[in-house]
Order: sequence, then C-alpha cells, then structure tokens
Amino acid sequence: MDRALRTRLERRFGERLTGPVRQRHDETEIRITAADVTEVVRSLHDEPELDFRLLADLCGVDTGDRMQVVYHLWSATTVDWLRVVADGLDRESPRVPSATFLWKGAEWMEREAYDMFGIVFEGNRDLRRIYMPDDYASFPLRKDFHLADDSSRSPGLGVRPMEETLAPADATPATLLRRSGAERA
Amino acid sequence: MTTDARTPNPHAALDDPSVLIEDVVRESIVEAVPIGRTERQAEFYTLRDGEMLLNMGPQHPSTHGVLRVVLKIDGERVVDIDPVIGYLHRGVEKLCENADYHQAICYTDPLEYVSSLFCEWAPVMAFEKLLDVEVPRRAEYIRVLSTELNRVASHALTMGWFALDLGGLTPVLYSFIERDEIMEMLTALTGQKLLFNYMRIGGVNGDLNHEFMSRLGDWMSRAARHIESNQGLLNENEILVRRARGLGILDPETALRMAVTGPNLRASGVPFDVRRAHPYSVFPELDFDIPTRQEGDCLARYLLRIDEIKQSLRIIDRCLHQLPDGPVMARLPRLVRPRPGRAFAAVEGPRGMYAAYVISDGTDQPFRMRIHDPSFVHLQLVGLMTPGNLVADTMAIMASLDPVMGGVDK
Amino acid sequence: MSVVGASWQRMSLTGRILAIAVPILVAVAVLGLLGVVLAGPIVAAFLGDNVPLVRFAAAVGGILVLTIPTAFIVIYMELKVIARMNLRIGPDRVGPFGTAMSVVHGLKFVGKEDFTPTGVDVQVFTMAPVVVFLATVMTMVVIPFAPGLFGLDLNIGVLYLFAISGLTVVGLLMGGWASFNKYSLLGGLRAAAQMVSYEIPLTLSVVGVVLLAGTMSLNQIVLGQSGSFVDWYIWKQPLAFLIFFIAGTAEANRSPFDFSEADQEIVAGFATEYSGMRFGFFFFAEYVNVFVMSALIVTFFVGGWTAPIAWPWPVDLSAVDPLGLGVGLLLLIAIGPVVGTIVCAVPFWLASRFSTLQALVLGFVVFNVLAILAVMGWAFISFDWVVGLAWFFAKTYAFIFVFVWMRGSFPRVRIDQLMGLAWKWLLPAALLNIFVTASAVLILNR
Repeated sequence: MDRALRTRLERRFGERLTGPVRQRHDETEIRITAADVTEVVRSLHDEPELDFRLLADLCGVDTGDRMQVVYHLWSATTVDWLRVVADGLDRESPRVPSATFLWKGAEWMEREAYDMFGIVFEGNRDLRRIYMPDDYASFPLRKDFHLADDSSRSPGLGVRPMEETLAPADATPATLLRRSGAERA
Repeated sequence: MTTDARTPNPHAALDDPSVLIEDVVRESIVEAVPIGRTERQAEFYTLRDGEMLLNMGPQHPSTHGVLRVVLKIDGERVVDIDPVIGYLHRGVEKLCENADYHQAICYTDPLEYVSSLFCEWAPVMAFEKLLDVEVPRRAEYIRVLSTELNRVASHALTMGWFALDLGGLTPVLYSFIERDEIMEMLTALTGQKLLFNYMRIGGVNGDLNHEFMSRLGDWMSRAARHIESNQGLLNENEILVRRARGLGILDPETALRMAVTGPNLRASGVPFDVRRAHPYSVFPELDFDIPTRQEGDCLARYLLRIDEIKQSLRIIDRCLHQLPDGPVMARLPRLVRPRPGRAFAAVEGPRGMYAAYVISDGTDQPFRMRIHDPSFVHLQLVGLMTPGNLVADTMAIMASLDPVMGGVDK
Repeated sequence: MSVVGASWQRMSLTGRILAIAVPILVAVAVLGLLGVVLAGPIVAAFLGDNVPLVRFAAAVGGILVLTIPTAFIVIYMELKVIARMNLRIGPDRVGPFGTAMSVVHGLKFVGKEDFTPTGVDVQVFTMAPVVVFLATVMTMVVIPFAPGLFGLDLNIGVLYLFAISGLTVVGLLMGGWASFNKYSLLGGLRAAAQMVSYEIPLTLSVVGVVLLAGTMSLNQIVLGQSGSFVDWYIWKQPLAFLIFFIAGTAEANRSPFDFSEADQEIVAGFATEYSGMRFGFFFFAEYVNVFVMSALIVTFFVGGWTAPIAWPWPVDLSAVDPLGLGVGLLLLIAIGPVVGTIVCAVPFWLASRFSTLQALVLGFVVFNVLAILAVMGWAFISFDWVVGLAWFFAKTYAFIFVFVWMRGSFPRVRIDQLMGLAWKWLLPAALLNIFVTASAVLILNR
C-alpha cells in the first residue's frame, strides 16, 4: 500500500479519475473513462516519476450492467501493482482505444477481450477472434451468454455460420441484432 | 435441437433436405483467405511472386501442443508467420465462475500442465487477498519448496524439447530422468502425478511426509552433478551452438514492448523477476540470485534456464534448512464468501509471470476469474522473430520461447 | 443338371479344392517333366558355354536377396543401439532380444493398404521408390565382398558407382514432385540439393585413392591394400577419408544431415504421401544406402576384405580328411551329437540347480553352439573367401555402428550450414587433397 503513489496519481490525473484511488494490500486502483485511456496510459508509461513500463495484464470485465477494461501495470518506482479500470463501457457497443501503440504485446490480449466480450479496441490492427472459431456467433464470457445450439439464443446472434462476417468495427452485438432482424423481416 | 419462434434457426439451410450439403459447404469455402478482414490479415494473405503458404497444422510432430502456424515462405526463407491458437480452449475462466472458490483451484491446474503448481498458486494468492487469510509460515515454505521443484522439472522438459526440435534424439530422454524423479517426489507429496491440486486457500493440502523427504534427500545429493553431466552432452555441441546462437535475438526494448516476462525477458538483459521485483510468500527471506544474460538469442534463453535450475536448487536447499514448524493450512469454512472486491496476484512461473485477477461479488463463487498466462504473450514473439529466418528455425525459436498450449489457450 | 454339376453340388469344400487342384498339379508336373527332358540339355549347354553370365546372374540374385536381411540388421542395430544411448532398452519382446522387430516392420509395410493420393502423377509416383531402391542396390554389384566374391569386376568400377548413385537424386525428386503436396515438394528439393552438393566432394575424395591404386576397379583397389593394416589407404589419405565420411553421411541422408526427413519440420519430407510397401522401398533403400556407404568406406580406405594382420602360423588341414573314415563317419554323425550333448550337460547337471531334462536341453544348445563355432572356424581356416567375408562384414558393421552412433548423438545441421559445409569446406579440401596426392605420386614415382 503505497501512499506516495496515491498522492502522485491524484496530483497527476486528478480530474480524470472517476472515483477515489483505492488501495488494498499491494494494489492501487484508479478508474477512468474509456475516452481517457490513451492519455492516461501514455502518461503512466512515459513519465519518469511514474514509469509503468511493464504491462502485466489486460482484460475485460462484464459487471452485468456495464463493461470494463482492466489494465495491470508494474513500475520499478513503487511496490504496488497499479490497476487501471476503464469503466462505463456500454454493454451493447463497448469501444475503447487500443493500447497497442505502447505495447505491441497487448494485441493478443485485446483480441482475447474482443473474442470473449465483444469489446472493440480501436487501433488494433488485428482484431479478430483468437480462441473461438472465426465464425462463432457469440461472446462467451458475457453474463448473458447462453450455451445452447451454438449460441443460437445469445445476444450475439445474427451472424450466420460459415459465411462472411462483418468487419470487426461493425460486429458489435447491437449491430448484429439489427442486422439479423432486418434479414429476417 | 429446440427451435424458438423468437430466434429462428440459423442452421435452417442445413436442415432442409432439398439443400445439398455440398452446395452449402462449397459456398462457405473461401480459398486460402479466412473469414474476416483485419488489416494484418489482408497484409498476410497477399502473396507476392514466389511466395507460398505453408501450414504447419495443429497436428504436427513438433509444435508444442495443438498450435497451428501458417507460414508465408519464399523458398526456404520465412517471410511472415501467423500463429493460430484456440485448439485447446476449455473455457476455464467461465467454468470458474460457476464453481466455488475451493473448486476453482482444480480448474486452474491444467492450464500450464507442465508446471501446474504455479497455476494454482496465483489464484490461491488472489483468493487469500480477498479473504484476508494469513497463511502459516510452514505452508509458505512448503509452497516455495514444491514450486521450485516443479520449476526444475519444467526447465528439464524445456531443455530436452529444445534439443529434440533441433533434431537431437537423446537429450530429451536424459532430461526426463530428472523430471521423472521430481514427479515421483511430488507424487509422494501430493498424491497426483501431473496436475497436483496441492495448494489450498490458506496453505497446502497435507504436510511433508517421509517418502517425499527421503526421495528429495536422495535427489538433492546427485542433482547438481546430474545436471552438469546432462549439459555436457549439449552445451558445447558445435551443431547446437551454431544453430541457436544469434537466432531470434530479442532486445530489451522490444521485450518490454511485447510485455514479455520470465526467462525470455531475463535472457535479453532485463533483470525482472517477480520474486524480487514484487516479492511474495517467503522469498524476501531466501537467498538466491536472478541470473541474467545479455545476448537475447535462443542459446542465451537455453543457457539461462540451466542457470535458473541451479538457483532453484539453492532455494530448495535454503527452504529445507529454514523450514519452520507449525500448521500447514489455515482453518477456513467449507464455503467461503469473500468480501466484494478485486485482487491481483502474480507469481514467477518457469515461463514468466503467471497472474490471476479475481473479482468477488460477495457470493461463494468468483464473479470474474482472469488468468494471465505468459505463454500466451510470448507466442506473439514468434511473429516478430521468425520472418527472415529459415523454416527450420521456426521450430528452434518456438522451442526456445517455451510455450505450453494449455496456458496459451486456457 | 449334368452329372458333373450334380456331383459338384454334393462335394464338400475340401473335395472341391482337391478336385480342382489335383488335376492342375498333375498337369504341371507332366509338362514340367516334358520340358526338362526336352529342353534341359539345350539350356544346360547354353549355360555351360556362358559361365560368366551364369555367375553374374547368380551374383546379382545373391545381392538382391542379401539386401533385405542387411536392411533388417541395420534397422535392428539402429533401434537397439540408439535405445541404449537413450538409456532405454529398445525392442526386446518380438524375438530373442527383439531381433524379429525388423521383420515385423517389413511385414507391417507389406500388409498396409496401398493407395495413391488424389492429384498425384501416378506413373512418377509409383516409379520413384523403385528408382531410389534400384539406384542403391545396383551399386552393390561392384563392391568386392571377398576374394572372388563380387558381382562384376568393372575396370571403371568407381565411375560406375558414382554414376549410379546419382540416380538416387532423380528418384527423390520424382517422389517429392509427384506427391502433390507442399511438404513433399520442400523435402524433395532439400534432399536433391543436399545430395547433389555432396556428390562432388564425395567423388573428388576418391580420386586420391584412384591415383594411389592406379586403377578404377574396386577389386584392384582392395588388392592394392592387401598385406597388413599399414597398407590401408586411410594412412595415406586421411583427409580424403574424412571428406568421404562426412560426404557419405550427407549422401545417405543420415544425422546430422538428415534434413530431408526432419520430421520436426516437414513431417516425412518427400516420403510424406507414401505408405505401405512404397514407403517400405524408401525406408529399405535408406538403410541399404547406409550399408553401401560403409562398404565403400571400407573398400576405399580400410582395406576391404583384407585382414589387418596375416595369420602368423601356417595351418595345414590336409591331414584331417573326414571322408577317409568311411563307415566311421556315419557312426560319428550318429553318436557324436548324443555324446556331445551329454558331455555338455554334465556341468549343468552337477550344478544341481537344473533337473536332468533341463540340463540335457541346455547341453544340447551348448553343444550346437560349439559345433557351429567349430564348423565356422574350419571354414575360416580353409576358405579364403570366408575369411575375407568375415573381415569385410566386421569392418562394414563397425562403420554402420558409427553412423548409428552419430544419429543418436547429434542434432540436425541447418540447410544453409549444410550447403556451406559442402561447397566452402569439403570441395576445396577435396581439391587440395587431389593436388597433394598427385604431386606426391609424381615426385615419389620418378
């Protein structure tokens, strides 16, 4: 629990944080909005007094009423892990800027978040499914995922199997539902 | 198959007996270009004159598990590479959401099955943070002891496999002698042969027993000598050195940009080890070094793992000397309900930093169990290091990065 | 229904088989007898006039028959020796100490389904294994196995040898191309490039030996090394020996140069689409090639069938004449084994761990072994071709052991390093060797 880190973060990002800096055991957590991700992450990476140069993890979270993207970072300047939660993503159309401009290794982690939740990372050059087959019709780790008949009841429904899917920028749940409705009308 | 008026059957075409299966299948086959049009894919699947796509499919004598690698080659030279994973995806994260905290430990074992004690340790540490459980010191020492043994076993396997991928048939069997003995030890300790299921929230499942200690004592008395003699077969071998030296060089800046951890990072000169950078368990009390190498090529990664085995032997020795008495597990109820919150815990596995991020919503099942696996991240390095080398070097590079597909695919 | 039809109906299965087979056999026997009686003398006269032709046919037949057991032995050696190096046991169930394993492998290949994949060029696909196998076997015609035991003493033996072994490349390319498979294509091209590159140092290194022996006939080359081991060409041509050994390993596609069959990378290389006996031909051809390479090393550098040192004492067995015993010989044959068995059984029986029957059985086995050794010893002393054959095989199998040893120990060399070795190191070394040898021969013979 690094109090000094908390002070530094509040001083640097004050108004961008959507909540207080929470600390427990050896973790410090800050919450930001999706729009601020690029700025905040770049500052955390580049500034020498923060120096969070190691990306430990990048994942998506579905809290039931909204989606989040969670980054875990490590810096040699502090004993804590820093958790950056990009909160408030719309469940139907979650979009967040990609971190691949800083860490190329985030490319696959973002692909996994897309594959499991449908979160679209703008700026990721290779945003396609990584675990599920290319023509899979749903996003498995969502809280409203139903595993039946290859997810035919799932909100991700609308993509007919074995045919060309949409470009990833459009393949969000809402678009898919709209499309499927239009086709069946 | 149930049908519902709300959600029409997307497979209707296939159910219609008048539609021939060949027609449906023919419509869906697109030659050599998969479904999906990302930028990177468009770049990859555009073949210039003389280039050829070679598919090293999921079934292959050499990929480390079910990994599919699509190579774009120009003669013998690899121009581009696209690893395709997901053949071993078991949905562990989703399964853990439907299990309670004690059961979730069993799901995490088979992720990196080669070093499964580490796969249990990170989630268990995260659970302990959520529950604010104090782990007895003896349990911590036993955890370190058993995981360092697992690290030696895992590195022995890696080194054998590296030689096998380069064509040497013998070293893998020599390495497996070490691995076999350690597995016998851990079987005596945990009761399982590969997926140990030994860590519990608040400690370990059972104290050290006589058979384990006698096997361990036996092995420790010869381990160092055995490892030296095994390495004598390979380290100075001209053919191996010429093939591995200067291959797949990873410089420290790129390594950090690719979020690499573990021996792959340390072989490039960055001395980052979770046991020292963010100490956990009783590692602050143990005396060991972090070996680092500067060259960053396949040979450096190979030699670094040998150095790490020697350091692990030191740690095991220290643990045996410093082992305190006491209980081996904290008392916890059968159904645990942690406070709502989030916890992140990372351990230094044989392949890199293995981490777990757990979100609890106050019930007896985890709300979100996220596993961060180092092999997953390291497989991206293949796309970076292979282009420009020969087809044969693909295997050498992959073997030196040491991915385990169970962890990659979760 | 006719009588025949009715009786056919009533016959059992055995009866039906006999009713068909017996008349056919009788007819064949009668015709055969007629043929022998009428044409026999003509054929015998023809053969008598062309003894060299007969001899050649017999030699070729012998060589063809010899290749299969040779391949079996080499495969067994590979399995067992590499197993022991790997601290394993290897096959030990399938025959005594697993010796029948190779035979079982052969039977397995014969028993597999013979298919041709879609899209292959059928004629080329079918002929590729044949070409590879024949190219390897045909080289054995000129190798001298013992004094007087060779297929043909060509006076351009060396030239013939390397010309024929070049056909292997054609066979590999045929296999790789016709298979309609990217892996096979890659494997075939790699193999062809490797073999063509290494043929040059291989051939050039032998030129030194040819200069020393003054002839291209392999039989003459071996005779030129007769005497004792100091006459072997390995002492006079050490560099050539080394080059030949390395290039021979690459020619035979053996580790560390087994790039074309690197199953870590391209499954089985040019042989990916082959199964059953087609693959069996490739497989056997490879092992016969190992034997041929070892035999060539032995012939050119290690003295062929000559013994390292001559038997120091003259042995004269003319005093022992078994036929002179007459009836005594018959009695010896009748009583000898019985007496020998009992004599060999007595120590076992006295050891009192065995029952009488077990002791007798063990005695019988021991007596047989001793008798066979005695006969072999007699043959060794009496016939010079037995001596030559024994030494030839001993030396050849020593080199085969070295090949197998290398396979168990070394990782694989990469293709560009392999090519670099051939063109940048072996070829200049071979040329240097020729230059030095030629100069030495000129200067010393003046």
